[in-house]
Amino acid sequence: MATNASLPLGREFRGTGKSLLLTLPIAIWSALMFTGWFRHPNRAEQIGGGITATFMIALFFMMMRTSATYRWRRWFFVAMGLLFPVGFIHNVMVMRGTMGIPIEEMIAGRTPFCYLPIPMLILPAALTKTVVFPGSILPGGGMSGAGMAAMAGLWLAMTIVVGKGWCSYVCFFGGIEEGVAAVPSKAEIRKIDPRWRYGPWAVLLVMVLMSLALFEPAYCMWLCPFKAVSEYVAARNTLGLVQNGIFVVAFGALVIVLPWLTKKRTQCSFLCPFGAFQSIFNKTSVFDIKIDRERCVPCVLCQKSCPTLSLNDESIGKGETLMSCMKCGACVDSCPRDAVVWHIRGTEVAVKPERARLMFLYAAWAMAIMFGGSIIAQGLATILHVVV
Amino acid sequence: MKLPIAKFGYTAAGLTVLAAVLVPFVLLGAFTKGFASLGLHVSETYNGGPMVRTVQMAGYAIDIHRPVAPHMLQPERPFVQLDWKPAGTLPPRVSDLVDIDGDGVPDVHVMFDVPEDPKGQLRVNVESLNPRYEAMHNVGKLKFSELIVRVDDAVLVRVPLTP
Amino acid sequence: MALPVIDCWIVAAVSVFGEAFVLGLASGPACIASCGPVLVPSLLAERSGLKLNSRYLALFLAARLAGYLLFAATAWAAGALLTFAAPKRAFLFALIHILLACVLLRFAHAVGRACAHGPAATQLVTIGAPRNHAIPGAAVLGFLTGVSLCPPFVAAGVRAAEMASVAAALLFFGVFFVGTTVWFVPLAGMGWIKRNEAVITVARMAMVLIALYYLVIGLSTLIGIRYGY
Repeated sequence: MATNASLPLGREFRGTGKSLLLTLPIAIWSALMFTGWFRHPNRAEQIGGGITATFMIALFFMMMRTSATYRWRRWFFVAMGLLFPVGFIHNVMVMRGTMGIPIEEMIAGRTPFCYLPIPMLILPAALTKTVVFPGSILPGGGMSGAGMAAMAGLWLAMTIVVGKGWCSYVCFFGGIEEGVAAVPSKAEIRKIDPRWRYGPWAVLLVMVLMSLALFEPAYCMWLCPFKAVSEYVAARNTLGLVQNGIFVVAFGALVIVLPWLTKKRTQCSFLCPFGAFQSIFNKTSVFDIKIDRERCVPCVLCQKSCPTLSLNDESIGKGETLMSCMKCGACVDSCPRDAVVWHIRGTEVAVKPERARLMFLYAAWAMAIMFGGSIIAQGLATILHVVV
Repeated sequence: MKLPIAKFGYTAAGLTVLAAVLVPFVLLGAFTKGFASLGLHVSETYNGGPMVRTVQMAGYAIDIHRPVAPHMLQPERPFVQLDWKPAGTLPPRVSDLVDIDGDGVPDVHVMFDVPEDPKGQLRVNVESLNPRYEAMHNVGKLKFSELIVRVDDAVLVRVPLTP
Repeated sequence: MALPVIDCWIVAAVSVFGEAFVLGLASGPACIASCGPVLVPSLLAERSGLKLNSRYLALFLAARLAGYLLFAATAWAAGALLTFAAPKRAFLFALIHILLACVLLRFAHAVGRACAHGPAATQLVTIGAPRNHAIPGAAVLGFLTGVSLCPPFVAAGVRAAEMASVAAALLFFGVFFVGTTVWFVPLAGMGWIKRNEAVITVARMAMVLIALYYLVIGLSTLIGIRYGY
């Protein structure tokens, strides 16, 4: 195999033939998913879907060819983050003419269900069998989409497969800040108090308690920054305006400004309660990332490259990542000594890590194509519809 | 001991890949049905609670829902929802005496104008004839427990109950 | 003839205070929901250990009871118990919430200072030695939640107002309180959670978030903004 100076140190090119062979299952999967993204696709959707399928296959091919993961995954993730608002906002404007959710839609159960409030709905549902979200359990028309049961089912199914990898392969919001963080060549703020990474757990605790007390999805009402690029409860009084102001400030600060200054995914690292919730599944996930302590020097390049502060001196000393690891692959790709490796629980560290990486990527990329691919295709179709 | 555990790990990894393939064809449908069968219901603060009675009027009907009580520390009051439907057949001015509890005695007098434009603004006045129900003066859609809105082909009025 | 009279008294007392206890039991979940946002993070900030956490919980609950009784006595004496539903309650509610927010912020800051003065460690920090940890927040927080007029308190207050004397009203509140306390006892189990930097930091951040929420709600109510959609 040839080496290439443009690749991260330690990485080697895989031959084109072998790379194509490894990509073949993904190509078949993409073609299959393409047929499921749209029912009776129009011309714009066909072109959008075709571009998306090709895009995902090409990215996987490059992951195979270069043996690197992070930068190719990031292309997909950023594309999804940027195109989701395009498709979604277009749909809400067509359906109701405003990004603000009027109370009529909430009463009619036509608020689309987002996965973010899932952790907050568990206790009220367990204690009183009540879902404290103004949607429909089954499809209810309008923006209710497939209904909450379907979204919850999708969440559970994909969490079984990717666990906290959700935050790198499924979340349709994270790509925005990952894209912003990628733009500057270097970080203006390099020193971040590592205790800030406990923020998502504090937000999760508070939002769970508040949702139980107030019987409403407290995070959606008070704090979610991504209402700025999707939809929000239409303010009917001054307090509603205050609540909407909070999410605008949170979006600006945590999704645009801080990622730009720190080159980290600050919203994900310091706020997102759903990310904290998904971290629990890192304890049950088959795949993880380990550090071969015999090879590790430590140069802490992995720590610096991690977008979510999921590596520190202590964890590196133990040869593992922290619970918040999103399996994005940045640390693996940055290690000059191949000490940071993909790993399957129960197996020996750094023994056939490429096999672990391949198995993980097949699972994760399959989910990415199924879900993220549909979002990218929809966004592209929305844009193409203008000209086609 | 290491080899069996490693085999177990690889098996679990293989099953995970298999699960990924099965998600759109089997798992998604199964989990969706599972969640749907849990018997959960959307909070009645949003959907107004189950309908219990219908009162026939001239050309339209009034659906009366079961009173909804707030939970825990919800910043809402208890209320009862009344639906006038179909909205298309309502007179320009509605003024109805409604017997909510079914005892034969009107409990509230509800008055509102029906705009020609379905998206037109609605305002309601409710005169309380039973101390259990609160009066409403020129109310729009400020709170879930006290409002008038048009949803599809029905005009919904929520009358707050006295705490 | 005295025996049937005594019987009647006993039956009446058991009936009324039995009602108070059952009301308390039924209100327990709402009490947990009301006090939980304050109690859970502040309890998490306490050192680990069943005994210490039980002591914190007991102090919190005792102060909460003191708040209940003080408010009940004052309101009963002023004949104001029956008007708990009046709009003026919202004004008082707002003031108490703002005060609660200030205490929570102070508590979160004090916990941070206690950690900083604790034994230095390269690994995760535990709360410092007992001398450095003199935070009486439990009592203040318990008292403020006790007077914050949560819905269960109001329900008990309306019933207690029907008592013949202030002593009876206070006793009614006390028994009601015992009923609600049953639900708080399991929280002492938080003593089994090992306190480390992660838990303490989460607790402090949670306190700050709750404090900010109470501030926004309290200020909104004070300046007359309608709350709720």
